[in-house]
Amino acid sequence: MINKILAIAKQNAKEGLYYRFDLLLYIFNFIIEITVYVFIWLAIYNKGNQILGMTFEQVTTYYILVVSLNPIISWGINETMGNAIREGEILRELLNPISYFNYYFGIRIGELIESIIVGIITFIICALLFGVLLPSSLLNFIFFIIVISLSVVVVYFFELIIGTSAFYTNSIWGVEVFKRAILSIFSGMIAPISLFPEFLQKIANTLPFKDCIYTPISIYFGELNNIEIIQVILKQFIWILILYIIAKILFNKAVKSVTVNGG
Amino acid sequence: MAIIEVKNLVKKYKISEKENGILGYIKHLFHPKYKEQIAVNNISFNIEKGELVGYIGENGAGKSTTIKMLTGLLTPTSGQVVVNGIVPNEKRILNNKQIGAVFGQKTQLWWDLPVIESFKLIKKMYEIPDEDYKNNLKKFTKILDLKDLLDKQVKNLSLGQKMRCEIAATFLHNPKVVYLDEPTIGLDILVKENIRKFIKDINKEQHTTVILTTHDLKDIEEVCDRIILIDKGTIIYDGEKEVFKNKYGKHIIAEFIIQNKNSNITVETIEEEFEIIEENETSIKIKFNHERLTIIDIVKSISKYCEILDMHIQEEGLEEILKEIYRGELIND
Ligand SMILES: Nc1ncnc2c1ncn2[C@@H]1O[C@H](COP(=O)(O)OP(=O)(O)OP(=O)(O)O)[C@@H](O)[C@H]1O
Ligand SMILES: [Mg+2]
Repeated sequence: MINKILAIAKQNAKEGLYYRFDLLLYIFNFIIEITVYVFIWLAIYNKGNQILGMTFEQVTTYYILVVSLNPIISWGINETMGNAIREGEILRELLNPISYFNYYFGIRIGELIESIIVGIITFIICALLFGVLLPSSLLNFIFFIIVISLSVVVVYFFELIIGTSAFYTNSIWGVEVFKRAILSIFSGMIAPISLFPEFLQKIANTLPFKDCIYTPISIYFGELNNIEIIQVILKQFIWILILYIIAKILFNKAVKSVTVNGG
Repeated sequence: MAIIEVKNLVKKYKISEKENGILGYIKHLFHPKYKEQIAVNNISFNIEKGELVGYIGENGAGKSTTIKMLTGLLTPTSGQVVVNGIVPNEKRILNNKQIGAVFGQKTQLWWDLPVIESFKLIKKMYEIPDEDYKNNLKKFTKILDLKDLLDKQVKNLSLGQKMRCEIAATFLHNPKVVYLDEPTIGLDILVKENIRKFIKDINKEQHTTVILTTHDLKDIEEVCDRIILIDKGTIIYDGEKEVFKNKYGKHIIAEFIIQNKNSNITVETIEEEFEIIEENETSIKIKFNHERLTIIDIVKSISKYCEILDMHIQEEGLEEILKEIYRGELIND
């Protein structure tokens, strides 16, 4: 099964890389974005100061990581899935010899390959331009990778849930915006979660999205000890299970309505 | 045992009846009203391994609905479908591995990639052994003339080129049963012939069972041995194509090349037992029932009005027979 999923991933990545120019544009965009952040913070810091216990290098590194991780987390299957459902391709996909969830997981991994390429190039260029702090230790770097990988699985099931809504609404634009909003607020993409008011922090701590961007970056900086990291990983597994069950129930219901009503 | 067993199959679609305006919409939300439409009405048939079946009927007769139920994409309202021992809509993935399907213009090929990439993925997804894949690819490339297409991006293919690739993709994993819902729609004659030959060849070699729906009866004439004719959701004929033609094709069409016409034959022969389909100064086309009249009778009547130079005789084809059936002229029993 892994073989098949990887084959689909490869196929999807190939198709994506066919639009190499688009990917270049993304990288260019991300670099501009980071540059803007860096200059804003540069003005705020006015050299040498510390704000909320973070040095300028830390803030710069934070934003470079946020922007580089952003595509890995937020480029999902929603659009592909939504279009497929709207255009009736869903029938074709239900004829595949592997399950829909596995098929789309392959598609998601394909997107991941593209976004990793974009992310790494963005990171390297910005690191050279502005300088970054390296991970606090090799072990922490490995944990960083593990937590991000699990986050991709978490957001995959979240995307499936969002994508399933395309069965009921004609356009998934609204839910897509909703998804992006949730992701960018609660993952720490907009601002470090430690800057949030307390009640928002509580929500953010319960939801799994914090562990997509904010937590891995904290691990990168060495701000969590090993026990805390293991707790995060356990929490991620629990969320994967919860989101999987929700996605499965909603999707089966949607497919049933398709196969009863005839699409 | 039959490879496809269909028993008392019924599909009713629910069509929501919304009243106009926001008020109507809200009303519908709380008291949804549905109208039922019977698309397939209690049909039964068995298909044996290796049969080539033409599934025909007018627009809206229920063909696609039946095919969707056979593939498991649509849940029957009642009745039974068993394909090679599997109930398709209950064990969809298991069923998918043993079937292939083409639905009109929908494609399983990857739009931005060269055709061959899609084939490679199909090989992986269906776990096609290397040997089979190589053989099939070689064979299909030859019959469907794919040599120059395999390296082209799908989005750059013409309709006919795409369909040839699509058909190849559908048969690549040696499916036991293949459903083709209007595979020749919009294609030119040569491509159609190409595809027909392909279906026949593969059927002969692999004993693939094929169910084909089409509005081009040439497809049926050339490919299928058996016809299932569905009308308003009910099967009105199921049997051999030749038997069908003998049973309903009681007419012969004769075309005469004539000269020196002395009057308008159509008006003059209004009493006769034959029908004039076309008439002009140099030719006349006549349809008659060969059980009642002979060609000699026709020649005799026509020669009263003109000089006959030449003639062609043609048995009624499926198309003419079906036209009569659709008009309600033939089947009343
Ligand atoms: N999803 C649906 N919801 C409601 N009614 C439907 C649906 N799909 C088909 N129908 C109706 O069911 C009947 C049979 O449709 P079907 O598509 O099976 O016909 P068909 O024989 O394939 O016709 P065609 O030759 O035009 O493709 C038609 O009256 C059609 O309007
Ligand atoms: Mg149809």
